[in-house]
Amino acid sequence: MAATVTLGVAPLLFLQLVYPLQMYPASIVSAWFFLLIIPAVILVYYLLYAAAFCLKGGKPAGTGWLWPALLGLLYVSLVYSSVFSMAEHPDLIRQLYARGQGGFQWNPAAGDYAFRWLHMVLGALTVGGFFAGVLGAKDAGIFSAGKKIFAYGMAAAGAAGLAYLLSLGDLLGPLMRSRAIWALTVGVVLSLGSLHLYFKRRFLLAGVALFASLLLMVITRHELRLLVLQGTFDPAAWRVAPQWAAFLIFLVSFAVAAVLVVYMLRLFFSFSGSDPENAI
Amino acid sequence: MEYPFWDLQIGYGILIAGIAVLHVFISHFAIGGGLFLVINERAARKTGDAHRLVFLQRLSKLFALVTLVTGALTGVGIWFCIGLLSPAAVAVLIHNFVWMWATEWTFFVVEIMAAILYFYGWKHMAPADHMKIGWIYFWAAWLSLFVINGIITFMLTPAAWLVTGRLWNGFFNPTFWPSLIMRTGVCVMLAGLYALLVAAGLKPGESKARIVRQTAWWGLCGLAIALPSLYWYWKAIPAAVTAAAIQGLPTPIAALHLSYWFAGIVAALLVLFGLIAPGKLRVPVALVLMAMGLGWFGSFEWFREAVRKPYIIVGYMYGNGIEVADADRYRKEGYLSAISYRSGDDGADLFRHACRSCHAMTGYKALKPAFDGVDRPFIAAIIKGAHLLKGNMPPFLGTASEADAIAAHIETGLDRRHISAIYGLQGVALGQTIFEIRCGRCHPMGGRGDKTTSLTGLTREDYSNLLDNAADMGVGMPAFTGDKIEREALIDYFMTLKAGGGK
Ligand code: HEC
Ligand code: HEC
Repeated sequence: MAATVTLGVAPLLFLQLVYPLQMYPASIVSAWFFLLIIPAVILVYYLLYAAAFCLKGGKPAGTGWLWPALLGLLYVSLVYSSVFSMAEHPDLIRQLYARGQGGFQWNPAAGDYAFRWLHMVLGALTVGGFFAGVLGAKDAGIFSAGKKIFAYGMAAAGAAGLAYLLSLGDLLGPLMRSRAIWALTVGVVLSLGSLHLYFKRRFLLAGVALFASLLLMVITRHELRLLVLQGTFDPAAWRVAPQWAAFLIFLVSFAVAAVLVVYMLRLFFSFSGSDPENAI
Repeated sequence: MEYPFWDLQIGYGILIAGIAVLHVFISHFAIGGGLFLVINERAARKTGDAHRLVFLQRLSKLFALVTLVTGALTGVGIWFCIGLLSPAAVAVLIHNFVWMWATEWTFFVVEIMAAILYFYGWKHMAPADHMKIGWIYFWAAWLSLFVINGIITFMLTPAAWLVTGRLWNGFFNPTFWPSLIMRTGVCVMLAGLYALLVAAGLKPGESKARIVRQTAWWGLCGLAIALPSLYWYWKAIPAAVTAAAIQGLPTPIAALHLSYWFAGIVAALLVLFGLIAPGKLRVPVALVLMAMGLGWFGSFEWFREAVRKPYIIVGYMYGNGIEVADADRYRKEGYLSAISYRSGDDGADLFRHACRSCHAMTGYKALKPAFDGVDRPFIAAIIKGAHLLKGNMPPFLGTASEADAIAAHIETGLDRRHISAIYGLQGVALGQTIFEIRCGRCHPMGGRGDKTTSLTGLTREDYSNLLDNAADMGVGMPAFTGDKIEREALIDYFMTLKAGGGK
């Protein structure tokens, strides 16, 4: 969990690097909602911890902790969606700021982000189903449940994604003519391929396909963001002086980190087979 | 100016300080604690000390729970907060140090992975492998300090970077090494203090005394590393910054002095309860010890934050996010046209961008008490002369009409009664208050430009003439705009001043 939060910070860092003039204003206008993400995540963490603790003790009451935790996660993702969507509309930010400067403004243009949010939540559910099925592959019950979530989740996420695309209106045309259409098409094909492989229990390949399709979705999203911001902003014009030495240090440390993580995991599992399921 | 201003009712400083202090304590503990655990594990395994191993396991549980979750989340919390409160400064930092931050992030990933495995590995792993993970943890954690230390010290002493703009000039800046060594010492000290807290709860007996004594040495060694490097750190700050601080910034200097007291108490308690009578260490004493240690480190951090006033990045950006390089443009064109996000009330917007990041009208560093009962031209004069005030404030770079707009905005939040009614004073006492409000901000008693020693021996008429010509006394010195009652009271006060010192 702590690891997830830490991993999640990286994209935020780069978004803030490339779009400071969009990201900060949007989060400042909704400052309180944005800031509440932190306590929400802390709460979710302890709820999950409590749930895991109860379940380990064999108490079914553990699931009672899960609902509020789920609500917390939904809150976090909703704030992200609304703020990031606002970041693409500088005029909207200006209007909202004129209305109030206390950081209590909520992005009212729900039409812009409702489907996208739904798409992401369902996408997360799909990935969750994928992993649940893989981890419980030996247990027929768990596997079929995971399979169901994976398949239905993907269908629902696809539907929400389609609805989002249709809700783009005027932007849809330009999007279809941009590079994004290729990323999107290949991404969808890979998702379906992943589903197929998954049913055949070729988990590694399915995972790779799923990951690649997620990556392509991110690329699509990036292209779309550029389209929306066209005219107000172009990141290519935003010169970042190349810092090759520092970049090299990063690459090296990244490689070393990857090696170390694998090395440590091998040390850990070579001695006994116990699984670290209740990871902190 | 390119960013909207979050009009937060509680003080900016308070919000940041709350999270930052928590995070700083936890993250330094996370580093020192890692070192403490592996070194002690090795010693315990060598001597076959089972008591000590049990103690270490217990410690590592607290460690994992506290550092991983709270440490990681408060870290992200600071990240969120500074982005909301000082977006301009954070944008500069990210722009310059993005790859360093990315590097730090890889250390973080390793650190968290290692901490989890170390915690779960006590029973599952061969001792040698377990210790390897402990070492990996420590080095990853320390390296992340190494990186962030470069960014934090950059804000105080960017030095050559200001000229060259080169990453390494900014990163390995003059305070980099002293700060790194000092923080390493603090890590060791905090690890010792936290461990003492757990050790104090052990069952009394021979093994407790031994563990307490060993642990107390950690605290003392940490202090012994940290204190000299604090001195080195102070010396590494450019003399101009420290001199300005000593002259005009009572707060950070007081914080620094406070820190000596805390350090002294920590050392005394460690010697007394750690070395002389280790068996007597109880949880309350360990708690006091911890509080003093955190007090010491906290007052250092407070000093570090405050000493760079009026800048947020010394020599590059002022505390209100205004870049030094833009000064000439603002002097010509004013602030207003540069403010991208407007509320519709120009005075309020100007106030937010010029003053609000450090002051509120009431509450933290309140402006209301400083201006209650005075007139608008005086407020405008103070704004235009902000750099002359005690406290090392950033200069006001906007136009004269913008200063008036801010003054009008401030005036709406003031007590509009006559100043004698507000304070319920008359005669000399009223005069002294008026002096403090109308003169003392720039001529503080005993501070720079103190006029209470030289303004002596004149007649009422001379004083009255002086007030008439106040605006000609110096560039930035405001005209006297008080009414007749104020003038008489002020002169009454002047008449009590004696040559050579004070009142
Ligand atoms: C970078 C932070 C910063 C900014 C921006 C700033 N100030 Fe200050 N100001 C300070 C500090 C620090 C002090 C000293 C406070 C102390 O002694 O505790 C101070 C002191 C003052 C005082 C004297 C208060 C007293 O009680 O002695 C006044 C008046 C004042 N500021 C007005 C302003 C005005 C008006 C603006 C906007 C034009 C402004 N300041 C902008 C930091 C700032
Ligand atoms: C905004 C800041 C400011 C305020 C408020 C202010 N002064 Fe000054 N004053 C200055 C500056 C700047 C100078 C010129 C430099 C110096 O002598 O310190 C000056 C100079 C003087 C001088 C001449 C000093 C000399 O040796 O020639 C006197 C006398 C004086 N101030 C008295 C006062 C009195 C009395 C008040 C209150 C009514 C006052 N000042 C309020 C900034 C201020």
